[in-house]
Amino acid sequence: MTDKVKQNISGILIKVVILIICLVDIYPIFWMITASLKEQYEWSAFPAFALPHGLYFQNYIDAWTRGHMSTFFRNSLVYTMVSLIFIVFFSVTVGFAVTKMQWKFKKAVADYFQLGIMVPVATALIPLFQIYNKAGLYNTGWSLIISYVAFGLSLSIYLVTGYLRSFPDEIMEAAVIDGCGIYKLMYYVVLPLMKNAIVTVLVLQFFFKWNDLLFSMTFVSNTSLKTVQTGLMYFSDEFGSKNWGAIFASVSMSILPMLILYTVLNKTIIEGMTAGAVKG
Amino acid sequence: MKKVLGNKGAISLFVVPALILYSIIVVLPVLWSFYYSFFSGSPGLKWEFSGVKNYIQLLSDKNFRNSLIVNLKYIGIVMIGQVGGGLLMALMFRFWLKRFKNVVRTIVFFPVVLPTVAVGQLFAKIYEIQPNYGLLNSILSAVGLNALVQPWIGQASTALGSLEVMDIWTGIGFHSIILYGALLDIPDDVIEAGRIDGCNGFNLFRHILAPLLRPMIITCMVFSFSGTVKLFESALALTNGGPGNATRSLSMYMYSVAFTYNKVGYGSVIAIFIFLLCITGSRIINLFDKKESYY
Amino acid sequence: MKKKVLSVLLSTTMVLGVLSGCGGTSTESNNDTASEAPAEKSEEATAESTEAASEEKTEEAKEETTEATETTAATGDFSGEDPQLEKDFHILSIWAEDNDNGVLINNICKAYQEVNPNFTYEYELVSSDDLRQKVATLVASNDLPDMFVYESGKPIVDLIEADQIVDIGAMLNEIGSTDFVTPSATSLLETLSGTDTIYDLPLGLNVEGFWYNKALFEQAGITSAPVTWDEFEEDLAKLHDAGIQPLACGAADKWGATRLINAYTVRTLGADALKNAADGNASYTDEGYVAAAAKVQEWADKGYFGEGVNTVDMNTAGSMLMTGKAAIFYNGSWFASNLNDTSANAAGEDGIGFFNIPTVDESVSAIDSYSMNCGNILCLSKAKEDEATKWFIKYFVEHIGDEAMTTQGSIKGYTYSAQASEMSAYTKLVLDEIGKAQSAFTWYEATMNSEVSDAAQSNVQMLLSGEMTPENYMQSIQDAADMSALN
Repeated sequence: MTDKVKQNISGILIKVVILIICLVDIYPIFWMITASLKEQYEWSAFPAFALPHGLYFQNYIDAWTRGHMSTFFRNSLVYTMVSLIFIVFFSVTVGFAVTKMQWKFKKAVADYFQLGIMVPVATALIPLFQIYNKAGLYNTGWSLIISYVAFGLSLSIYLVTGYLRSFPDEIMEAAVIDGCGIYKLMYYVVLPLMKNAIVTVLVLQFFFKWNDLLFSMTFVSNTSLKTVQTGLMYFSDEFGSKNWGAIFASVSMSILPMLILYTVLNKTIIEGMTAGAVKG
Repeated sequence: MKKVLGNKGAISLFVVPALILYSIIVVLPVLWSFYYSFFSGSPGLKWEFSGVKNYIQLLSDKNFRNSLIVNLKYIGIVMIGQVGGGLLMALMFRFWLKRFKNVVRTIVFFPVVLPTVAVGQLFAKIYEIQPNYGLLNSILSAVGLNALVQPWIGQASTALGSLEVMDIWTGIGFHSIILYGALLDIPDDVIEAGRIDGCNGFNLFRHILAPLLRPMIITCMVFSFSGTVKLFESALALTNGGPGNATRSLSMYMYSVAFTYNKVGYGSVIAIFIFLLCITGSRIINLFDKKESYY
Repeated sequence: MKKKVLSVLLSTTMVLGVLSGCGGTSTESNNDTASEAPAEKSEEATAESTEAASEEKTEEAKEETTEATETTAATGDFSGEDPQLEKDFHILSIWAEDNDNGVLINNICKAYQEVNPNFTYEYELVSSDDLRQKVATLVASNDLPDMFVYESGKPIVDLIEADQIVDIGAMLNEIGSTDFVTPSATSLLETLSGTDTIYDLPLGLNVEGFWYNKALFEQAGITSAPVTWDEFEEDLAKLHDAGIQPLACGAADKWGATRLINAYTVRTLGADALKNAADGNASYTDEGYVAAAAKVQEWADKGYFGEGVNTVDMNTAGSMLMTGKAAIFYNGSWFASNLNDTSANAAGEDGIGFFNIPTVDESVSAIDSYSMNCGNILCLSKAKEDEATKWFIKYFVEHIGDEAMTTQGSIKGYTYSAQASEMSAYTKLVLDEIGKAQSAFTWYEATMNSEVSDAAQSNVQMLLSGEMTPENYMQSIQDAADMSALN
């Protein structure tokens, strides 16, 4: 009897704890959306957690037009997509080569790529700028795509190799016996089985690239080439005056694709992440 | 088999393009900044060869020492919070959560998706005290803890803690999902066997789960470590390094030295230090892995 | 009177300019370049009526001419028609195209395209936080844009020494447009960079002081704005006793707080106090400097700034004033644009007033001496400069004054002949205050290089939170100055 009561109580307690965790994680998104509908004066007149007094959609209009969100959205999408293709391609091929293939320097190459996780990005800015400038890539979308790909490689390869280590050799052997060459093996056998890992890389890198501000600010000067995060700058001035409503409208719009992507793919992502990492 | 996997043409096709790209875009700038570290000033501005002067200066730089201490404190707390907290959450999901698994897992991952600027602003509003009490101070004063109402990010004594809480919040979901996956991979019968042997609660964790989870925990720690060493954006968004220098990290200090003080050469020295710290740290974590995994 | 002060000013800047010219060749000349204290300078009343401005214009133009010709002799003739040279002009700015100075720059560029159809321009926006990084990156690859926004004072000295930016004083002289930049702006800019010519174009001519909420003053029984420091402190106490938060301060943005220290420092020690400390003629740890820091800390201890002042940014502080949550707010004349925004300004069209920093001792620093600045400024890349640039600049300086006045009712440091179509009460208030200014002093960090300025700004938060004593605060600034003098 007492045991049962105990169990009930602990059951409820657990539910409460989990509920709190969920609330704590959902609240910011809810808050951000309410914040994006506030008029400027509400920010100081009422506490920040207060609900907006009306639905002030002007913020979204401002963000879309004044903040050039329409252009930036398209740019971000293009840069991100193109670099993701390259990142996935390179991380799968390199990852496969350093884990499953047989050659002399594979361990060294794997370590070499891993170093990139440690590089502080701000150091690279000035040298990189000079490289792009000399190569005539400054102020083109390519400078961003190249930087995104190169700086995304280390982590992606790290994830993929972790996954591949646990990849059963038997399947490959069977395929080779059936007469598969290396390229066929990659395309028909390895790639499909790595779906989870690939999705993980895609999504994580998507988040990172989509949120980039430093590169796009440094390597691109033309407004028509800039990215979503730069749109946020349009609403603050040199003396620290900020239009928070419009900023949060921009942020809400900029996380929308990520939320959609994540909700749609969340099962695969989580499977991929767990599977990819565990066996590392 | 061996022939297929030893295909030299395929290997070079797979590795060389990425290798070239990575070498030029990531590694070359690092070497370049190593070269920069022997100069004073900033390229184009008072740019002069100065030998190892920058390295000597680093030893006596109070601001650098301060940032290092701030950064190390931050790494310690946030790593424990993110990985430890993530582990607790993962255990909770594994053993206690019966329904809504998918929904809960989806929700805890949300903070990872948010841009740092937005998170920083959100927490600034939560910690707010003037002109209106933010969420935290409102709750404290509502439950009668008026003595605890304080400017959380406005005083050096609490600012770093407030920042750490924010970043633990951001990262904990990510780590809990990874660890949860690892837990799922531990077959039920292993756990059952442990139970039959009389292991429960903490003992079960200590003797059965922990050893099996070790590689994953190590991976999480490496992730968390390499993120926290480079602390920059979140501190910028929440406190801008203040008040005073209470939350100024190594990366932030490097950034101001290089671009505000116009001393790219000296900034490069700090960058190299961060890089070395990062490598040493992960080596130490990995060492821990290999040494203990034998028993 | 005015003219006499001006000539004194000109001679001092010239002498000091020569000195700084010598300093400029050494690697570390940061601390010896500033010219004589700006307080000696007559701030030409830029807000005066148009007639007065144009009348004085010619005389001053002559004086400036003699000063600037030494450097470059005129090469081309810029008096006739625009030759419509082809040019792709790149501008780096921190204001969006539809915001603040961004509007003006774009309007001028568009208008100039009608004069010169072969002129195209590209307008790039970076956030003001990243301006320094962007410019450093561009300098490193010798690729500064034709025109870029930068910070006046110490930051541009580095660019001048590296010979990266155009001597605009000489250029204006060559194109015959010197007299379109007001002498007050010119001398302010010369003082800030410590040179005898200007290397930057102003984008504002602002006074700073205390904005106050009239309704709250009345509520606390205060009848008139304070003139002396004692009255000021009494008023603060009255407000506090009446349960009103006396001061709003955006200490999250740091400069909002150091300006208050500056106010007291200048009023007690005179306009050249900070320059003396920067030059090493005084120490930041001297009694007078510490007293000013102590004053601000005393206010914080008394709760004049409310709770957690370090978490309040300038934006919030401004709206606290407008919504009646605080009575007084230190800010510049640019704040008028927020006040003009009826959706943000709950106090209404006549609810907010302005008073200059109250005086401690009239003989040290008088009430007609204002804290002034030129806002962010424009520099021109030396590598990109050509004939077409000069023609554009000629058009720019000759038209921006009118453009600013007609579209925004604001003064940018250029002469103007137009009148604002519809001037709000706040705009007018600002123009009046600028008109009253007889001399000027600069802000707290103006004479400090970036390392010292960084120490002053970040540690001021520790001062306000009471985690650093005034002595330690001033010591931290002195330490930073000693450190940066070493290398």
